[in-house]
Amino acid sequence: MRLLVIEDDATLRESLANKLSESGFAVEQAADGKEGLYFASEYPIDLAIIDLGLPEMSGLEIIKQVRADGHTYPILILTARDRWEDKVDGLSAGADDYVVKPFHFEEVSARVNALLRRSGGWASSVLNAGPMTLDMSRQEVLVNDEAIELTSFEYKIIEYLMVRAGKVISKTELTDRLYDQDFERDSNVIEVFIGRLRKKLDPDNSIKPIETLRGRGYRFALERNQVD
Amino acid sequence: MNSLSSRLLISVSVLLLLFFGATIAVLDRAFTEAGEQARRDILDGHLVALLAAAEPDDSGELVMPDRLREPRFERIGSGLYAELRNLEGKVLWRSRSALGLEVPEGTVPELGNHLFGRESFEDGTPLLTLSLAVDWELDDGDSKSYVFKVAESLDGFNAQIAGFRKQLFGWFAAVAFTMLLAFSMLLRGLLKPLRQIETEITEIEEGDRVSLSSKFPTELTGVARNMNLLIDSERARSDRYRYTLDNLAHSLKTPLAAMRALLNSRQDKDFGERFDEQIERMDEIVRYQLRKPAASVADNLVLAPVPVEKEVARLIDGLRKVYRDKHPEFEVRIEKGMQFRGDTGDFLELAGNLLDNACKWCERKVRISVVPSVGARAIASGMVLTVGDDGPGIPQDAADALLQRGMRLDESTPGHGIGLAVVKDIARSYGGRLSIKTSDLGGAEIMVSIPPVTTAKGQ
Repeated sequence: MRLLVIEDDATLRESLANKLSESGFAVEQAADGKEGLYFASEYPIDLAIIDLGLPEMSGLEIIKQVRADGHTYPILILTARDRWEDKVDGLSAGADDYVVKPFHFEEVSARVNALLRRSGGWASSVLNAGPMTLDMSRQEVLVNDEAIELTSFEYKIIEYLMVRAGKVISKTELTDRLYDQDFERDSNVIEVFIGRLRKKLDPDNSIKPIETLRGRGYRFALERNQVD
Repeated sequence: MNSLSSRLLISVSVLLLLFFGATIAVLDRAFTEAGEQARRDILDGHLVALLAAAEPDDSGELVMPDRLREPRFERIGSGLYAELRNLEGKVLWRSRSALGLEVPEGTVPELGNHLFGRESFEDGTPLLTLSLAVDWELDDGDSKSYVFKVAESLDGFNAQIAGFRKQLFGWFAAVAFTMLLAFSMLLRGLLKPLRQIETEITEIEEGDRVSLSSKFPTELTGVARNMNLLIDSERARSDRYRYTLDNLAHSLKTPLAAMRALLNSRQDKDFGERFDEQIERMDEIVRYQLRKPAASVADNLVLAPVPVEKEVARLIDGLRKVYRDKHPEFEVRIEKGMQFRGDTGDFLELAGNLLDNACKWCERKVRISVVPSVGARAIASGMVLTVGDDGPGIPQDAADALLQRGMRLDESTPGHGIGLAVVKDIARSYGGRLSIKTSDLGGAEIMVSIPPVTTAKGQ
């Protein structure tokens, strides 16, 4: 999944971006408000982390602009101004959650995962669909209560699909969100990974978790067990 | 005596009293003197007529004719009397009008002299008298001395004076009353701009107006302009203060965040944790110190009232997002039109921290109620803010500790610490109190009571 981090402090931005990459996200970085707005409007992103106090353009304005343009991806505010006035302003401008500086990385990571999950319509970080269970905090997939060994890339694909259960995801979207920008793009790679995933999750082809829609993409096809 | 108009009215009344008092005294005196002079002249005329009418009889004694020309001498009790005595005081003749009355003899003047006097009958009727002692030469060359005396009752004259005085007082009272009335109306007109200023300042206090209007007479435009300057600078000052604090917080916390991020990447775990503890402490100090109440620097004058319902709704909308997974049920009880007299940021801190804690700790239910203080006359005068939840509650000893201590640096009650300390500080800066009880929902109930603005002033 592709995240955008808009933060003017270079040390903070870079270490945040590194940590998020380590956790398996593709991360875009912007150092000021204008650049941030450009990324936020033009790039296919799944979640934005926006500092409120930015040069060129305030985080609040970016959020308002992004929402006015109709983007619905979740926005997490980083703020040093932790007065409620600022939090409420940010939340009512269209942000979904806030983290107050100085934060622990785990805090940000937990909020990001929760927001991504919520935006997929899941209420808990343990996603249940049919015989499948995906635990986002432990990055673990179980089928019929049995843990399945997955590579980190395979996990990313199934998480991306399962979080968006029921929606059609194109190959381009998958490559866009799962690779970092400079990665070599090859849609065949995705096909190969989907094939491997199917074998691992459903060796006897009985539950059919991933559906292929010719020319359109893939869809996680199992019914959610838990309704928010 | 503190009102301008009562001062002016009292001064003017005193002046009017002195002026009219003097005028009345002078007029009264002039009228009385003129009247008395006229009476004297008349008496003089009567005396001359008496002298002319007197004739010596055969025995050489003076006698008066049977009837006098002046009819008032003939009518009993007419008020005009005359008598003739010899020098020994024996009454030789008395006018018919004095029948049954004893005209006092009074002082006898020197021979040949007039003497006016004020005497009275036995019954007290005041008299103006004129006596003349004459040496009457008889035909035989002999002479006899006589005293002629005319007297007029002053009853009529006194009644006239009393009437005159009554009229004088009546008119002057009417004039004075009219003048006072006209003056106080004039005063109302003159003081209207001052009252206008007062009204506009009240409107500013109530938030219906940003600055004083410019529709004042020349003498007051300076005052109004300075007042506006003062309000503006006061607003700017409190904005600047908050802006400085915000910037300070921002510039301190970003490096703290960066330090923490750098630490995370180090291998030395123990060092990292110890360092992180220090960062935590610095962060708490910054948070606490820089979130101190804003209203202590701003006068009530510059604070527009906070619409409580709207701000609470905004907070709850925000918290619904943040606690989306838990989605607490909010129960809101706010008096219609309820306003908080103070800084919006302060109100959001009070309600925000309490609601946030409640959301953090509740099972499902969070209740917020905002009502005016008991006994407060206006709805904006004071506030009781109560937030309760159905969580585990706060044990009594922990509650006491939370209320007693200033700032909490330890985390024995995680999540309640800083927020509650800030709430307590803000409540205190408005002269209010904080209390912790058990909610009937089952969890903690925290109540902030802010007294009416008047008693919170001077904080």
